[in-house]
Amino acid sequence: MFLEARGIVKAFGAFRAVDGADLDVAEGEIVGLIGPNGAGKSTFFNCLSGDSEPTAGTIRFLGQGVTKGSPEAHARLGMARTFQMPVTFEDMTVVENVMVGAFLRHPHRAGAIRKAEQVLDFTGLAHLASSPARSLGTPGRKRLEIARALATEPRLLLLDEALAGLTPAEVRLAIELVRRIQGLGITIVIVEHIMEVILSLAERAVVFHQGKVIAQGAPRAVVDDPAVIAAYLGHHMKRVRM
Amino acid sequence: MKQWPLVVIGFLLIAGWPLVVHDVFLQRVGALVLLAAISASAWNLLGGYAGQVSVGHAVYFGAGAYASLGVYTELGWPPIAGAPVGVLVSMGISALVGTPTFRLRGHYFSMATIAAAELFRILAANWPLLGAAVGLMGPPVPRSVADLSFISPIPYHYLFLAVLVVLLGLTWLMQRSRMGYYLAAIRGGDRAARSLGVPVLRYKLYALLLSAGFTSIAGSLYAVMVGFIDPDSALGILISVKMLIVAALGGAGTLFGPLVGAIILIPLEETTNAMFGGGGSGITFIVYGAIILLVARFQPGGVAAFWAVVTDRVSAGRRAPAVPGSSRVS
Repeated sequence: MFLEARGIVKAFGAFRAVDGADLDVAEGEIVGLIGPNGAGKSTFFNCLSGDSEPTAGTIRFLGQGVTKGSPEAHARLGMARTFQMPVTFEDMTVVENVMVGAFLRHPHRAGAIRKAEQVLDFTGLAHLASSPARSLGTPGRKRLEIARALATEPRLLLLDEALAGLTPAEVRLAIELVRRIQGLGITIVIVEHIMEVILSLAERAVVFHQGKVIAQGAPRAVVDDPAVIAAYLGHHMKRVRM
Repeated sequence: MKQWPLVVIGFLLIAGWPLVVHDVFLQRVGALVLLAAISASAWNLLGGYAGQVSVGHAVYFGAGAYASLGVYTELGWPPIAGAPVGVLVSMGISALVGTPTFRLRGHYFSMATIAAAELFRILAANWPLLGAAVGLMGPPVPRSVADLSFISPIPYHYLFLAVLVVLLGLTWLMQRSRMGYYLAAIRGGDRAARSLGVPVLRYKLYALLLSAGFTSIAGSLYAVMVGFIDPDSALGILISVKMLIVAALGGAGTLFGPLVGAIILIPLEETTNAMFGGGGSGITFIVYGAIILLVARFQPGGVAAFWAVVTDRVSAGRRAPAVPGSSRVS
């Protein structure tokens, strides 16, 4: 299996934000993690990326155990991520931001610049290459985060609400970008609130509720699942279709 | 780079200074500017480029100073021979201090560096080998040229200039290499940097080792020139604060910021000291305080950022002739 998480638990004191979650991801697919606020998606996601170590459970990526690896070790293995709140390197230009990622596989400046320019072309940021990163708005920052992550030449890209806060038109552009990333052969796991995104993008949706996976399968089928509707809307709304 | 002509002119002015002015006081100020520029540029590697604001660099300065006069008093070597010893000791101390303190962030890191530096100052003040509270003396009369003991400030000026050129050359190379980008990423945010594969702790240590090594060299040069050190003049907190202020004033994290800061601050400090004598050394603190306030309030990027704003305005003005009400189009 490409990515395999088994029995992941993340506890903060007595509270178990993630409580025994499993996830399998096959190479090349787009998997959407959905669930109401506080369902444990982001915490689970941070365990996958190495940002926080699970209290229990194991994670294997490309056949290697990565349960305890640091984020930088994950990056070297080929796992890249974006953050819910974009963390742009404000003092640098757009191309320099991307070069930081590119340096992972291209230790020399010239190679890193080439790689960064190639990624900026791919993500449609080429015209902003020498602008200061702090001049970008939210959509630009989200795109820059994706570009920076792509520059590390990942095999798995973890997108944490990469489309939240965008206007419908920007969302469509971002969906198109994610599809093209998949076209490069990169596997994608995406955490997302916007149901439209999951429905149009993901081949498989995994639904979190109270730290557990309560349903998974084709996005259409999953949103019709009574347990999922109950998790989102409460039990007395069971009959409402989304 | 469009700034090269400016760099060449600046270099010629600095190199020619002691030959143009004949007043010994002014020549001495020139040498002291370069010395302050060396230590602030060394501090800048960690505090500016990597954004880890150390207020404890006096430890490394002191290690260099004590190593120089230590090898003279203990072994009878020329003081400058202690410089490599100081560098090694500094790197040892920095690995010891850096490993635990780099796990701290922001102000907590700065406070830990103060504590570590004070620890070493108290240690030196009580250790007879280091002259305890009295301090150490260099050779009272030069035994040979190797003692680097000159009455004129001119030889020091060129010695310091050579070290500064090497340091800034290395910094320039570093800034353009992977390490420069990684340090800037660390300054931008540990978490994002790590997600892109930057081994944050390792690169902070690299920056600290380089920074500590060059700060130590500055300490050795200071001891060689002045010929006398005690715990306050080589390890006092004011030394750490001065490096920080000089770099921040000129522009932390920029190549020439610390040099510019030294050119502004050191003449000011030397003049007040000369005007008010020993009783005027308190003025230095007031000046430092005022500079911290002004830089923090009006231009956290220092003179370098101010300069960037000015040149932007000028070139924008050239591109578009001034039309009332449209000067701020961006």
